[in-house]
Amino acid sequence: MNPRASIWLKTVYARTWVRTKSIYGEPLWVAVNVGFPFFTSLALSLLYSSVGLKSGIGFAFLGGVMVSFWGNVLWSMASQFNWDKQQGLFELYITSPAPISAILIGMSLGGILGTAPSAITLAIVGWVLFAPPANPLWPLVALTFALTLASLYAMGMALSSLYLVYGREADSVNEALHEPVSFLSGVYFPASLAFPAALQAIALVIPLAVGMDALQRTLFSLNASGVADLSLVYRDILLLAMMGIILLFAASKALKILEEKGRRAGTIAVRLR
Amino acid sequence: MSYVRSVIASIRVGWSRDFGWTNPILGFSLKTIAPIASTMTALTILYIGFRNGALITPDEFPYQLGLIIIGATLYAHISAYSWVPTLAIAEGKWTFVFPQVYVSTRSSPPYLAGRCLASFASSTVTSTASLAIAAVISLFLFGVAIPLVVTPVSVLLFGIALAVNIFASMGLGFLLGAYAIFASKFEWALPTYVSGLLMVFSGALFPVTSLPTPFSNIGDVLPFTEFIRASRAILLDGTVGPYFYYLGLSFVGGIILLALGLLAFKYAEQRARRLGVLDRKVV
Repeated sequence: MNPRASIWLKTVYARTWVRTKSIYGEPLWVAVNVGFPFFTSLALSLLYSSVGLKSGIGFAFLGGVMVSFWGNVLWSMASQFNWDKQQGLFELYITSPAPISAILIGMSLGGILGTAPSAITLAIVGWVLFAPPANPLWPLVALTFALTLASLYAMGMALSSLYLVYGREADSVNEALHEPVSFLSGVYFPASLAFPAALQAIALVIPLAVGMDALQRTLFSLNASGVADLSLVYRDILLLAMMGIILLFAASKALKILEEKGRRAGTIAVRLR
Repeated sequence: MSYVRSVIASIRVGWSRDFGWTNPILGFSLKTIAPIASTMTALTILYIGFRNGALITPDEFPYQLGLIIIGATLYAHISAYSWVPTLAIAEGKWTFVFPQVYVSTRSSPPYLAGRCLASFASSTVTSTASLAIAAVISLFLFGVAIPLVVTPVSVLLFGIALAVNIFASMGLGFLLGAYAIFASKFEWALPTYVSGLLMVFSGALFPVTSLPTPFSNIGDVLPFTEFIRASRAILLDGTVGPYFYYLGLSFVGGIILLALGLLAFKYAEQRARRLGVLDRKVV
């Protein structure tokens, strides 16, 4: 095998392994990660019930599942290099022959594998507690779910390069981004039933919004007839695929530019600013 | 007197920690965005329920929006500062600030109280701003004006309610801080769980009576529930009698929770000193 490809794959495997091991080696992580999304989903489910819309409970729990991944993207992808910098790990990354893009891909795969147990637990608990009515088109659900995660984690990679130039403000930016993006994406409710068309169009630049729309349509139909509007689902799938590719490309370019700039200015490994 | 000076110094430390990295306007703006968004999420679900459900009539809808907007912003306010003692301890162990605090006699409680008060002050500004902004967004998004009672008297009484709630939130903070002293990992997990539980049990988003017993009884006696009820009574109904009734209950519950929190923290700190774990790092 080409030595460069070999190093790239080995780096992906190593970073995936470290992240996965850190979660599965400590089963308490599952209990810890499931907590806040569960209570948020539970509270919003009870809100749906109290306003006479029990059929909406599924949206609340689907939202909890996807928020687990969105939180992982923000806190364990976007700001990861920032923490690595503070702990001195980032210096090791840039002085080793390991490609940064491979480290990011490994981090993404490990993040998905690590978040999956808490997301699955949340989905099972929601289903057992409330049995929300669903009308899933499983092949399309699987495809949209995979594409949503791919574009979401690609966005995490792009953000991580951006966060390389940040100092302490990374945490505050994360806190400020988490809820508004969830709201605009219609994580806990179908945006198409609540937002005006202009706001829905603006939200289409967020991978989470497109993914949530597709998942809600393929899992819960969203139509009085009970049949999902497949043309909108295919539009979302196409958008997600395009976003994934564009964001991956943007992340790779941004990383190279910022890495070069950081090396020249001598600020790439500065720990606290 | 030294206690007061310590508390004031800790308030300055708290503000410096929260806003020292940027200018105050940007700092406050970033902290205001999240509660606005979470409040809007709850309001949007209510709107979808109103449009597609059968329980809310058009006449009731503005009032229901008012219930949710007050509950959601005040829940965000409570959860923003009640876990600050835990954060101060956990972060303090990492940054070696906490060992510098506890080496002086009886210094941790005023330090944590000061950090809590600093966060209370900034959270009061951000949650009040988020309440106002969410009301304006609702007007544009749902075409409904929320019937909030905004008069000098109601604003003053709302301010008093916010101040009274400090006892309960600080008490909860000290209880969680007692745990954080011993935690060597996942120190943020318990406050996150407690914060999630409060969302369900404080009646912020739906009436606690809709919970099955005994959960509804638990939610009914929490000082946070009474605080939210008192705020709704004055900001939405404009009624003074129920306001003082709920505020009195919140005050009594808050004092009890604060006493319990301080006792638990004192016991935990003494035990941690004996065991030598006060400066054990969070991993």
